[in-house]
Amino acid sequence: MKNRKNLYVLGGIALLAIIPLIAKTIDNGYLQTLTFFVMMFVSMSVAWNIIGGYAGQISFGHGTFWGLGAFTTAIFAIRTGLPAWLAMPIGGLVAMLYGMSWGYPTLRLRGPYFAIATIGIGEATRLIMLNLDQLLKNSPLDWLVKDKPFTGGASGLILPSPNDFQANQLLLFYICLGFMILTIAISAWINNSRFGLALRAVNMDQEAAETLGVSASRYKVLALMVSAFLVGVAGSLYAQYVLFIDAREVFSFSNSIAMVLMPTVGGIGTLWGPALGALVFKVADDRLSSARFMLGGMQINLGDVNLMLYGLLLVLIILFEPGGVLGLLKRLRKK
Amino acid sequence: MCFQISILNSQFQILMSFDTFLNLFAASILTAGLYATMSYGLALIYGVMKLTNLSHAGVLMLAAYGTYWLNTLGISPYLAPFIVVPLWFGIGIVWQHTLVKRIMLMPPIASLLFFFGIWLIMQNFAYLVFKSDIRSITNEATLLTYKLGPLVLSQNRLIVFFAGITALVSLQLFLTRTYQGRAIRALAADAEAARLSGIDTDRISALAFGLGIALAAFAGCLMALIFAFDPEFGRSHLLKSFCIVVLGGLESFVGVALGAIMLALAENFSIQFMPAALQDMVSFVLLVIVLLTIPNGLMSLLKGKK
Repeated sequence: MKNRKNLYVLGGIALLAIIPLIAKTIDNGYLQTLTFFVMMFVSMSVAWNIIGGYAGQISFGHGTFWGLGAFTTAIFAIRTGLPAWLAMPIGGLVAMLYGMSWGYPTLRLRGPYFAIATIGIGEATRLIMLNLDQLLKNSPLDWLVKDKPFTGGASGLILPSPNDFQANQLLLFYICLGFMILTIAISAWINNSRFGLALRAVNMDQEAAETLGVSASRYKVLALMVSAFLVGVAGSLYAQYVLFIDAREVFSFSNSIAMVLMPTVGGIGTLWGPALGALVFKVADDRLSSARFMLGGMQINLGDVNLMLYGLLLVLIILFEPGGVLGLLKRLRKK
Repeated sequence: MCFQISILNSQFQILMSFDTFLNLFAASILTAGLYATMSYGLALIYGVMKLTNLSHAGVLMLAAYGTYWLNTLGISPYLAPFIVVPLWFGIGIVWQHTLVKRIMLMPPIASLLFFFGIWLIMQNFAYLVFKSDIRSITNEATLLTYKLGPLVLSQNRLIVFFAGITALVSLQLFLTRTYQGRAIRALAADAEAARLSGIDTDRISALAFGLGIALAAFAGCLMALIFAFDPEFGRSHLLKSFCIVVLGGLESFVGVALGAIMLALAENFSIQFMPAALQDMVSFVLLVIVLLTIPNGLMSLLKGKK
């Protein structure tokens, strides 16, 4: 049984690895870009699940970590002239420290403090990043914005373009594949370790867990740090791939919504559920975003009602199948 | 008389005249009346049912649009609450009986996701019906101001303040003087004991939920009078409501009022040395500071250590 599972995983990795080789012949490389984004979202979804699923602390602000990773990378590449991929761990670290700074006060307490704070953090961070250049002017940190913009405000930042665009995309594809495998491996390790056990225990009954000597707040903050680091690295990958970022887009609420939705759809708190959810979400999003249908003589673009569909999906899942797609599959198999 | 506030270095020295100070203070008190109404809706639902109603933001936003829509039909925005609020009270009761009742039995994570989903649906509904343009209600009545010595007060803000206070005082009377009000408070204090003493918990929770939603809707109607809004409206106010509830503690009416005043003061005075665009950040920073220093809220300071 275990062997067969390993075989599936290896087969999946091999299949992903040959996609760039065949993508050109199928649809001029679009498949490669789509797969890159699917892999990035799988990593984000799996990373969100570490704090949201295992630890049971829902975060509506993970887009912030993603955006910080992207911005750190852009600023690093512009300022140092070194290859942008070197900034990946730095982007992760910045996101991690940022998460720690407000995660510590909000996770210490029981109750919905963390979840509510995450709703504000995205908005607050976007406002800071949009206005940072203005704020830095005439302050002691003036030298940061003297000759070039720091965050670029509303006009954004353009990363230095690589010598060989195609080769860079290909390299990033394989880095992303490796990163996704790493993220899933970390999630799997946490799932089977004492750390994961402690998180689950805290999630089920914090009081009981603390009576048994589990330091609830320390584990929760640690889970947030791991999660934020991984999402920050994913953001860094994004910045390198698209080469242009601006605060309005990178810190938009929709990424945070996506990171809540994907694991919930797939199966919150499981190892493979979030990955499955991300795959379903991203592929459906790609296929459906341009679809339209008629309702009462009015043409409705599916892109205009996507929030409603996401909301409806959340409500239906919570009411009827809290285990998500994975839970549904299990139930079908039992029958 | 002058106040000198210096931050970072001398370049940032800000002189504030006494008149400005007085005006900012008055504005803060007026805003606090609205904030208290807004956060009491959230506190009521959290206190009684232990549910964090994220759709609070959506109710604020849709109630504001309701007022706007009635205004385009020729109904005065000052009368709109009499239509909008009972409607939302009804919606709240129906919700409780159909969906929320089931959510209450699930772990807290489910209720967060559920209400988040409802909020997304509300936002998208507003986008579809009202489009993404920024709306506001202005007519001669909304632009009137009164001069009181150095104070300049907008009639609108005064009305909003007194309407908010009236709603809160009548709610407080209801909660302390009537059987049903007392049952709500009993349920908040100890649900099990309330059930054992013969309170119909289903009906009373529905009433509390309806009241919480109605209060949010009332705050939304009042907001339509003084703020511009779009379908994203409400998100920052959800955070503000929560910040006030944390500041004031859940159990007390005075606490919520104190929390509202604190937040309003912090917001209005921070504008003096911060870009206005960053005003929405104040509540977040305040929330984090409060959680770090006095997690039990202001009232715990007054009462001494709990």
